[in-house]
Amino acid sequence: MQATNGASREVIAETRSVTKQYPGVLALDGIDFVVRSGEVRALLGANGAGKSTLIRMLAGVEHPDSGQVMLQGHELGDGGVRGAARHGVATVFQELSLIPGLSVAENLFLGRWPRTASGIDYRTMNTESRRVLGSLGIDIEPSREVAALTLAEQQIVEIARAVREDPRLLILDEPTSALAAAEVSLVLTTVRAIAATGVGVIFVSHRMDEIRTVADTITVMRDGRVVADFASGAAETDAVVRAMLGDRERTSLVERRSGGERGAVRLEVEDVAVLPKVVSVSFAVHAGEVVGLAGLLGSGRTELLRAIAGHDRLHAGTVTVDGTRTGRPRPATMRRLGVGLTPENRKRDGVIVEMGVDENIVMADYGAVSSWGVLSRAEISRRTAALRDRLQIKVADLSASIGNLSGGNQQKAVIGRWLYAGSTVLLLDEPTRGVDVEAKAQIYRLMRAVADEGAAVIFVSSEIEELPLACDRVLVLREGRIADEFTAPDIDLTKLLAATMAASV
Amino acid sequence: MSSTGAPATGTPPTEVVATGRAPTPGRRLRLVMPRSTTSLNIIGLLVAIVVLYVVLSATARGFASEANQLGLLRDASLVGVVAAGMTLVIVAGEIDVSIGPAVAFASVVVAKAMTTWGMPTIVAIGVTILAGAAWGAVVGVLRARARVPSFIGTLGLWNILGGLALYTTNALPVPFSPDDPIMTTLSGRLLGLPTPAWVMLASFLAFGFIARKTAYGRSVYAVGGNASAARLAGIRVDRTRVLIFVTTGALSAVSGVLLAARLGSGNGGAASGLEFDIIAAVVIGGTAMAGGRGSLVGTFLGVIFITLIGNGLVLLGVNSFIQDVVSGAIIVVAVLINVTMSRRRAVAGTSSD
Repeated sequence: MQATNGASREVIAETRSVTKQYPGVLALDGIDFVVRSGEVRALLGANGAGKSTLIRMLAGVEHPDSGQVMLQGHELGDGGVRGAARHGVATVFQELSLIPGLSVAENLFLGRWPRTASGIDYRTMNTESRRVLGSLGIDIEPSREVAALTLAEQQIVEIARAVREDPRLLILDEPTSALAAAEVSLVLTTVRAIAATGVGVIFVSHRMDEIRTVADTITVMRDGRVVADFASGAAETDAVVRAMLGDRERTSLVERRSGGERGAVRLEVEDVAVLPKVVSVSFAVHAGEVVGLAGLLGSGRTELLRAIAGHDRLHAGTVTVDGTRTGRPRPATMRRLGVGLTPENRKRDGVIVEMGVDENIVMADYGAVSSWGVLSRAEISRRTAALRDRLQIKVADLSASIGNLSGGNQQKAVIGRWLYAGSTVLLLDEPTRGVDVEAKAQIYRLMRAVADEGAAVIFVSSEIEELPLACDRVLVLREGRIADEFTAPDIDLTKLLAATMAASV
Repeated sequence: MSSTGAPATGTPPTEVVATGRAPTPGRRLRLVMPRSTTSLNIIGLLVAIVVLYVVLSATARGFASEANQLGLLRDASLVGVVAAGMTLVIVAGEIDVSIGPAVAFASVVVAKAMTTWGMPTIVAIGVTILAGAAWGAVVGVLRARARVPSFIGTLGLWNILGGLALYTTNALPVPFSPDDPIMTTLSGRLLGLPTPAWVMLASFLAFGFIARKTAYGRSVYAVGGNASAARLAGIRVDRTRVLIFVTTGALSAVSGVLLAARLGSGNGGAASGLEFDIIAAVVIGGTAMAGGRGSLVGTFLGVIFITLIGNGLVLLGVNSFIQDVVSGAIIVVAVLINVTMSRRRAVAGTSSD
């Protein structure tokens, strides 16, 4: 299945039997990987497949345990990031790193502003910026403030900054994941323009339609190995997905599902729009159900959950909880109706490290442990100790800072917050991210137990193979809509993954 | 504090300890912050205060006298009454720089209300405190709803109240009857202590309780620790932010009333620079400017510390301009030590866990 087009071109970057071992994980297992001049190479793989590690090797951030990284024929060795840069590697990471208050030109030249005797040489800077942006076929005025640009334009400025250093190899780590579907084409055009100048591009993405548009070749990784190479035109989504998943269908963690018995509708979402990512979404979740929400990074899962919980404005549509319908959900109202949201970024939005585990839990409803606003220490201890036992949170002293707990235990405490508050509609955004296997299994069981008690649970996960294990149904969010729906026991992982990635299978 | 006024023993330091209301800081402060950091900070401040007492008793003539000790308490009260509320403001990650002019303006309001507007004293005081709460609420709403940074909002208030206080009085004192019974009580003593000291005590006890034991107090810590997480957890972040400024507004008014009672008049230019003594006391007491951490016991000790230094410098006959230089330096060093110690703690804590 070796890609054939462009095989005669100059090799820009190559890894030879590169292996990298992290504690407990073999991240890369003898990787042979080649990128040629002018080629756009899509890199795919499920979470933990080793994509990031491979990228970090090429960028000089990590050093292989064994094997070689060759850049333009030279071995990188201990060259590190500087060595890689010297050999023409430029990387654009997922998070935008632009400074919003500065102009486009100032960002392009960040830290290396040209000077004249009297200060910064804006004329040179703007001229040069215009040239770089022009060479990418992009018309953005260099003196504009970055904060005023659209996300897609910002992403292009980010790419232009890398291109300004005349790279031979450009690594783009999910450059489109922050963008709504409609904004993507601008970025893809830019990437093609860069490749046309002879630069080799590694393009990490999971959106098949965009990969077909932009990539010449596709490399699929799994468990630290390259498992397949495709020519982009010839690649069936199905085949790519099967390569990504391997025989991962079977696993020992399978949870028993409640099996068909559904209660009344607890949560109903009708024609909801949260622009630009969520265009029109409708679904219902019944009491007793665990419903998975699948979708690629940037598909709008988080935006949808936040809007249901009242933290973001709905541009259209209504949310109904236990028969109470609203077009303008507000946090206090939704909480009273029983909606509890655990955030995707636990550290940033979930825990308050200055406080104990107990206080992190009871803050969801002080009323239950206080009278006339005065908290009862004894009641707090009693309630949180009960939750600790139920959720198996490993902590001896509940008043100790939640920051000392492992990720899994922190997550259980954050979920515990809503169990404590008596929530009946639980929206769990990536509850298993950064959590060990044991805690994952506990979280699956917990979701099931809560559903069995009559709650409706929505479970978002980027690790798609989790969804069939834990869910009664899985909804697929793509291009701002529910694109597909799978019901247990017929949740086929291959079809599910394909549905998240492609416009059509 | 009660025994610091006792002239017989001449060893007030231990009494300060005993009345610091933190006999077992470790246990009682659990809710507030990691035990070790808090107790370390408090022990450090206690040691500093003891040392200051010993040194000043030996070197500064008249320091240990009853009159000076009572004067010290009065000075401490001017800082302390508002410092208690300011602790919550800073714990919430906010700042209020309006206190000096707010106190001055409040002293003018209460004096005018008693004289020009002919209100009974008790009503005048009530009106003043309500006014303080009201201007606090304005900044609070600006912060919470309009996202005007509290530094800017309260800086504006600083200007407005300072200007109003001088404009309405032509920068002249507004005297009221020296025989007014309530004002006489407020400026006098109660059970052997200056009345303002009791008010300060009440303020610290109240806010100590609020900070540790009430839903509102814990919300303040949650908002200061991680506002985003607090909001997602269902805490009413906006309401909390409004209330903390209502608190400092009302406390400034209380301080203004006490100041008016002490001076026998409302004074538009009084209490200048008070806001910085208060903020310094809070920060020396171990409250993090970034929010989320802090204790009322620490602030109380910070108030005592800062007052002692001011008093000592005066008694030692230091040039009044140099006094500012010295106290400024001491404050910075105190905070530096404080911050360094807690960082060490934090590092040691993480590595041993």
